[in-house]
Amino acid sequence: MGCEQARASLPLLLDRELSLWRRWRLRRHLAACPSCAAELEKQQAMQAAFREQISYHRAPPALAARIVADLPRETVPPTVRPWFRLPAITLGGSGLAGALAGAALVLLIYRAPSDQGSLSVIQAVIDSHIASLMADHLTDVQTSNQHTVKPWLSAHVDVSPPVRDLAAEGFPLIGGRVDYIDGHPAAAVVYRHDKHVINLFAWASPGQANAPPHGEERQGFNVVTWREAGITYFAVSDVEADQLARFAQLVRQGSA
Amino acid sequence: MPSDDRKRRFELLALPHLDATYNLARWLAGNAAEAEDLVQETYLRAYRYFDSYEGGDLRVWLLTILRNNFSTWARQNRGGRMTYVGELPQEDLDAPHVPLWSSPGRDPEALLQRSDDAERLNALMERLLPEHRTVLLLREVEELSYQEIATVTGVAIGTVMSRLARARAALRRHWFDAEARERADGV
Repeated sequence: MGCEQARASLPLLLDRELSLWRRWRLRRHLAACPSCAAELEKQQAMQAAFREQISYHRAPPALAARIVADLPRETVPPTVRPWFRLPAITLGGSGLAGALAGAALVLLIYRAPSDQGSLSVIQAVIDSHIASLMADHLTDVQTSNQHTVKPWLSAHVDVSPPVRDLAAEGFPLIGGRVDYIDGHPAAAVVYRHDKHVINLFAWASPGQANAPPHGEERQGFNVVTWREAGITYFAVSDVEADQLARFAQLVRQGSA
Repeated sequence: MPSDDRKRRFELLALPHLDATYNLARWLAGNAAEAEDLVQETYLRAYRYFDSYEGGDLRVWLLTILRNNFSTWARQNRGGRMTYVGELPQEDLDAPHVPLWSSPGRDPEALLQRSDDAERLNALMERLLPEHRTVLLLREVEELSYQEIATVTGVAIGTVMSRLARARAALRRHWFDAEARERADGV
């Protein structure tokens, strides 16, 4: 291979577009030609500098919610509609087997906002849920061992949510994560149902009265919220409503 | 409810590519508000045609839709704030008279006076033709293959390569080498 051909091949080497054979021939030329080797180094340096210094514009957090809200829905009216009251749900009625696809559930544990169930908090919880799915940042601590997740969360958030592996019930524990809801640190316990992610958020609400579970559907996600022993819980998910209710029931039993 | 399942499936598959889509849109539109509109329209259209999506990299598919949306949008906005030069005939690509800059109002040399490398690079990028900017972003940031870039931009692989070469040459001349020159000159 001559210099001219080598120079023409350099960008392709940079872009991983050279076949093994051509790569080998180019490497052989470069080993013998300091001038072409220096040119490659320069091109590599520019590529690295470009990748490092070019601005990357991340989508504003609200955009995902806006997109989801604007997708046409053919079967479900776009209004908020309560879909169940937990106490009325009986356990065990809906088989555990993984017949359900599409379950992503978030239970949030965080501090402060007292307006349980208010639209802005529900929106914030859904946004966090979507963000956790998008940002490749589902868990800070990834383990199915509840004895690892709980102390980790306790060390990072000032509330200690119940953490129990519910694998036997069809909701294996994936890990935990510190999240932010409305600017407040929150603990998120992450579960899975079949192939789908489940996030569970909770936060301390000292002095506030207990509230029974309440479910809603918004933007294609199901949300269950309740307050118990000074902790407000939010479960956000795209699981079927009855599965989310069952999950919430299991969590409540675990914390009792 | 099949259409609800379809929507969930779309969200789970498509939303992870929101940053990639937005980044390109932001670089093409030049401002956040229009980038958001472009992205939203892209997702809406992608959802509408989701049934025709036949597998493969969904990110490439979304970026393709975005690029088409942008072309339409740019045609409609021609004469406005932004000058979109549009598709150049391929035989002209290597001709020396073809401008690399979409906004002739500002002299690229003026950029050399900026001290910050990153700032200068990003300002320079905004001056590149949209098609040059696009291939650079798709290659260096999204790390797409030539074939994938050809799919997204709707041109032949040879065109992708020549655009990439011209874009890199411009960067080298006005950013990378200029930096080295300045340092050598003690500017």
